[in-house]
Amino acid sequence: MERRAVRHFDYGLLLLAAALVAYGGLLIYSASLTAYPDGIGGLDHPLVKQVLFAVLGLGAMAMIAWADYRLFGQMAPALYALSIVTLIAVLFLGESAFGSRRWITIAGTQIQASEIAKLLTIVALARYLADRQLQITRVRTFLTSLALAVLPAALVMAEPDMGTAIIFGAIWLGMVLVAGARPQHVLMLGGFLLAAIPFAALAVLGDYQRDRIALFFNPNSDPLGGGFNILQAEISVGSGGIFGKGLTEGSQTQLDFLQTPTTDYIFSVLGEELGLVGAVVLLTLFAALLFRTLRVATMARDQFGRLLATGIAIMVLFQVFINIAVNIRLLPVTGIPLPFISQGGSSLIMLFAALGLLQSVLLRHRQIEF
Amino acid sequence: MDPYLKPDPREPRRARDKKEPPGRSRAVFAGLRALVILLFGILIIQLVRLQVIQGDEFAQRAEINALREVQIPSTRGLILDRQGRPLVQNGVRYSAAVVPGDLPERGEVGVYQQIERVTGVAAEEISRKVAVSVVERGEFEPVVLKEDIEEDTALTLRELEPVTPGLRLLTEPTREYLSGPLLSHILGYVGSLSAEDYALLKDQGYLLNDYSGKTGVELTYESVLRGRPGKKLIEVDATGRELKVISERRPLDGSNLLLTVDLDLQKMVKETLEQYTSAGDNAAAVVMDIKSGDVLAMVSQPDFDNNVFSGPLEEKDLADLVNASGKPLVNHALAERYPPGSTFKTVVGSAALQEGIAATSTTITSRGYILVENEFNPNIVYRFKDWAALGPLDFYGGIAMSSDVYFYYLAGGKLDEGFRGLGEARVASYARAFGFGEPTGIDLPGESAGLVPDAQWKEETVGDPWVIGDTYNFGIGQGYLSVTPLQLITAVSAIGNGGKVLTPHLLREVQDNHGNVLERFERAVRRSVPVKSEYLAIVKEAMRQSVTKGVAKKAAVPGVEIAGKTGTAEFGPTRPDGSHETHGWFVGFAPYDDPQVAIVVFFQHGGGGSDAAPAAGHILDYYFHGPQLAAKPEDGE
Repeated sequence: MERRAVRHFDYGLLLLAAALVAYGGLLIYSASLTAYPDGIGGLDHPLVKQVLFAVLGLGAMAMIAWADYRLFGQMAPALYALSIVTLIAVLFLGESAFGSRRWITIAGTQIQASEIAKLLTIVALARYLADRQLQITRVRTFLTSLALAVLPAALVMAEPDMGTAIIFGAIWLGMVLVAGARPQHVLMLGGFLLAAIPFAALAVLGDYQRDRIALFFNPNSDPLGGGFNILQAEISVGSGGIFGKGLTEGSQTQLDFLQTPTTDYIFSVLGEELGLVGAVVLLTLFAALLFRTLRVATMARDQFGRLLATGIAIMVLFQVFINIAVNIRLLPVTGIPLPFISQGGSSLIMLFAALGLLQSVLLRHRQIEF
Repeated sequence: MDPYLKPDPREPRRARDKKEPPGRSRAVFAGLRALVILLFGILIIQLVRLQVIQGDEFAQRAEINALREVQIPSTRGLILDRQGRPLVQNGVRYSAAVVPGDLPERGEVGVYQQIERVTGVAAEEISRKVAVSVVERGEFEPVVLKEDIEEDTALTLRELEPVTPGLRLLTEPTREYLSGPLLSHILGYVGSLSAEDYALLKDQGYLLNDYSGKTGVELTYESVLRGRPGKKLIEVDATGRELKVISERRPLDGSNLLLTVDLDLQKMVKETLEQYTSAGDNAAAVVMDIKSGDVLAMVSQPDFDNNVFSGPLEEKDLADLVNASGKPLVNHALAERYPPGSTFKTVVGSAALQEGIAATSTTITSRGYILVENEFNPNIVYRFKDWAALGPLDFYGGIAMSSDVYFYYLAGGKLDEGFRGLGEARVASYARAFGFGEPTGIDLPGESAGLVPDAQWKEETVGDPWVIGDTYNFGIGQGYLSVTPLQLITAVSAIGNGGKVLTPHLLREVQDNHGNVLERFERAVRRSVPVKSEYLAIVKEAMRQSVTKGVAKKAAVPGVEIAGKTGTAEFGPTRPDGSHETHGWFVGFAPYDDPQVAIVVFFQHGGGGSDAAPAAGHILDYYFHGPQLAAKPEDGE
């Protein structure tokens, strides 16, 4: 790659991501003290694993940034097919945890297929919409793009993982709007979906999802069962107050009242131990990261790059929002990792790969000028 | 459509790419930035609501989550007789139970079979009980499978408990009363708290499944026996497991009670009463140190075994006990009141001497009855009989022979012969001065106050005016007057001890575990009778004569000078031959010259001279000559 292009590399974006991973590392350390009371004792400690995945992620980011992102555009159909096959495989071969099958083991490594599928679907949608920049106003193109998102969303929903399915929907919506879809189409679709909600609640939602929604409205109906997480997360965050109880000092976290405190409920750990101040710092970091991602979108040299960046920004935004909203009882329980913060290799590597795509778009955004 | 505006498919891709993003996409990006701020703004608003506005409330809930206050029970104090012999011991009762919520997900049958092997309760039965209990009481309430299991079985279960999820060995403290029925009325028993008790006692640190003294000494000295339970504040994790102790206050074990009762004497008194009564009849006896008020023995018949309240008591068994003939649960020595009969003449005699109504030389002739004309109609003549035509009697003779006519004169007078009696008001006032009509204040619950009648009382309660006949009856301890055996012994003790009505008591000392005395009961004088000691000495002498040559002869014991007074009190409906059923009484003290001990014996069915007097003599013989009685109450203690 030409040296002059390297000056376009966005170190701010990388630093923000690194800061978030470091922030998450502190929380993972604190949240795993119950399970690992002696601190970091070996390679199986969650924080050590997280750091290793972050290093792998940085490698992936570097490789993808160095490669031309348009290469992925050309590979998009194959990548998309791969992600669909993986999602189907998960349904039949996957490992289940907490009542849903989300992981598939490849070469001894557990991979959360839906994490990979999210990014690959963004690539595929970007390619499809970029290719049909002017046909997007047509209903057929509009609906085909919808189908591209609905297929992986439906497979994820079957795991069942409603949260990630919603993320697919949000990604698609943002991308078609940037691609220039007609607002009428979007509104009509929205109206149709609204009308379908009662049927969806009966047919599409499984019992467990209906239970979760019911519990969201009244967690005290089952305070020791399904409602336990909801109530305990709320107590954790609320009890943190403005300044928090101090890292590793939160009684809720350290006494095991939070389930999955290093992953889906890691925000509750933050809320309890670092308080409102810690939460505002986190949201500020995310906001900066998102604004820089949207800056990439506006600077992209082509529609494909622009759509890629848009899709990634929307994915991160909605994951952050839904994850935190579940922790603070604004939304029903749904298992979505908090980007860069939650423990989890698939998610972290996927996010760094996405950062690599963004950097690649930036590095080549004005290749024509000299 | 204008063909020139159509995109040219041959236009190179690069040229198309170079185009600026369509105008609307700028707006979309602005919208996306706004969306970031909007969504994060929503999150921050909710965070402020939870962490700032409701922060304190959630902080409290987090604390409640993590901290538990656990009580450490204190060991209940023991109860000893006056020689330090234990009357009660603390035990443990074991029950096998299962906590359904802790059972392994698919392995509950294995646990049931394990329990079946050890306890013999069939696995199917366990399974059924668990299923019922889960529905009725939830899955975290222990399901009791077998109560009161053997200690060996309990030990096996204790070893299995840590490795058998769901199995729970429940332990309950119990009181084992070593002498059973012998001391039931004195010791009482402990029982679990009722909902009402709990509401009253929870501020004092009682728990819902706690125990407390229900009656007897166990109730009176509950706070001493219980001690103070300890408390610890522990941090628990989400499953309720204890992680660490944050603060702890050691329990303060209950203190031991050294009673005034002598176990041997108690046993002997009880045997004596049993000899003189048939099953189901009431009888009571109290032996008391006449100088200190120490109750050396107190027996009420029929008895019950207070150990039955330590185990699981069926509703029906309890009802049987409550309704059994003779009311075994009631302490007849103090909870029921009876007419005292002629024993009351000691009080009337003292009053008559003090009031100048009689002197030692006052001689009255008993022809077997006196006749009294109706105040308004002289044609109506009432006849008040004596138990025999005793002839002329002086004061000593009147008491010794227990002449009713003599005391008709002293109490009611004989106006036609110009003899002025005490009158109802003065008899009542002296009765009260001797402690009748009010509880003695003994350290046992459930005491009756008895009843001392007077004109005002009769008018208010019965509705009739007081007549001379009432005064005559009053004078011989009949009619409306009623007393408890305990009141009678404290009243007559005052004659023997120089005029002090003492508060009888059962507690001698409070001791710690090592026998160190924490508290010693001091003699408590409740009243001083308003009778000069020379007059009391006269009554005492008269009581002595009653035993030596009067109606209480059967109480005499060779080698001991006993002073006493019998009573045969009529009660119930008149029989066809004009007679009544009678209570038998004896009250007295010994030795005559320097009294140490007082005694009262009461039989619901019997005579004073024929039954109560010999029973009392028997007891006093044992008291003064019995070989087993090692320690007699020391003088001046």
